[in-house]
Amino acid sequence: MLKKLIKHEIYATGRILLPLYGITIILSFVNRIMIGINKFNNTPLNIISTITMFFYVFAIIATIITTFILIVFRFYKNLMTDEGYLMFTLPVKPFQLINSKLISAIFWIIISVVVTITSLLILLLNAERVTIIRDIWAYVYKMLKNNFGDNYVYLFLEMILITFISIIQQILLIYVSIAAGHLFSGHKILGSFASYIAINTAAQLVSLLVLLAMASFTGSSFEKLEKLPHAILIIAIVLCSIYSILYYLATNYILSKKLNLE
Amino acid sequence: MSAILECRALTKKFGSVTALNNIDLTLERGKIVGLLGPNGSGKTTLIKLINGLLVPTAGNLYISGMPPGAETKKIVSYLPERTYLPDWLKVSQAIDFFKDFYEDFDVNKAYDMLKRLNLDPNKRLKTLSKGTKEKIQLILVMSRNADLYCLDEPIGGVDPAARDYILNTIITNYNDNATVIISTHLIADIENILDEAIFIKEGSLYLHSTVDDIREKEGKSIDSLFREVFKC
Repeated sequence: MLKKLIKHEIYATGRILLPLYGITIILSFVNRIMIGINKFNNTPLNIISTITMFFYVFAIIATIITTFILIVFRFYKNLMTDEGYLMFTLPVKPFQLINSKLISAIFWIIISVVVTITSLLILLLNAERVTIIRDIWAYVYKMLKNNFGDNYVYLFLEMILITFISIIQQILLIYVSIAAGHLFSGHKILGSFASYIAINTAAQLVSLLVLLAMASFTGSSFEKLEKLPHAILIIAIVLCSIYSILYYLATNYILSKKLNLE
Repeated sequence: MSAILECRALTKKFGSVTALNNIDLTLERGKIVGLLGPNGSGKTTLIKLINGLLVPTAGNLYISGMPPGAETKKIVSYLPERTYLPDWLKVSQAIDFFKDFYEDFDVNKAYDMLKRLNLDPNKRLKTLSKGTKEKIQLILVMSRNADLYCLDEPIGGVDPAARDYILNTIITNYNDNATVIISTHLIADIENILDEAIFIKEGSLYLHSTVDDIREKEGKSIDSLFREVFKC
């Protein structure tokens, strides 16, 4: 059943996102060609290339914003409005509905990042820049290895992990805020925004307290300083995971026990 | 086989407001039951509880012996008073959606009914009128071979000709094993097809009886009894 839910969710969101991604990619090809032609100083062509560049920038921004808005909007519209009557009477458990939305959201975030990077590469990549990128990469690698020794691999993995978990945490924070807003008797959308601010502030406060507590336990000698990024990343990963789990459980509780569609 | 619906001391409160108060009710299989009461009497609340869209404040309810959940949703076909289909769907896509999620969904039956009512499966729902959307939803709901059908105001928004067709569909589509609950205040229109009537008054069960018994004992139609009981 989860597979079917994901399939329908991807379809419902893809019909909006895929054309947008397609346009972004096409526009990056168009602009690449325009840049190539523009070597001859020609005023009308200049104007056209300025316009196409404007559209390209607009498409990139639209790709990112639309992906984000759709993730929020789908959860609200599909579960909390009249469409909820359909979704919550399907023979599935509420947590499967959350999972399908979450998995689809992560999927589109990954795709939107891939599309953005691909389009930038199409637009800008040439032999000279490949060398520059390679040099930067080598430099970052050297710095990491100098400062952190062989531990740099862990540091790198931790950075990928924290990126991934904090994205999940942000999505679940939005879900739990929308679900909590649903508990308000009126002004449900306003309630969702208020919940978002309240929950987010509380979480940041807890994080700050945890970091302060950790700091007071450990002294600050120079040998330990090189381990600091590692320690902070681990704490961040643990905290983010705990928040994510709490948000998920709270969302599931509200959707299972406190549901009250208008 | 156990009763299709059993409510024991079922109570639902919204804050300090009691929407349903201590309902004890058992429905057997193979009946068409009218759930009757004025606006705000608790009809929709009861139907939402049956469909797991609300959780009881107190008491229990069982559908075919099971508390509401994913298992009961497999055997309950629900028509809310809302248009609950995403409006960007084509009619045919809505049918595919139902086919995907409900094992008991009969695709041929759905296309048959569409044809009979002259509805085009390739149309997008947003291009259809409110009444047509209601017909589509009813077709989807009645194309399932469910054990319990919950129809909340199924005929309110459609024209009288379609109303007749829909009622006919309800009678012919359900089997001996299935029960249909129809919530409405258009009693005169559905009176002829009902086996049983439930009157809900201010959240309490006022009466649950067979239609024949009511006619015999009271010597009047359900419609006139309703007007008497709920006289303003």
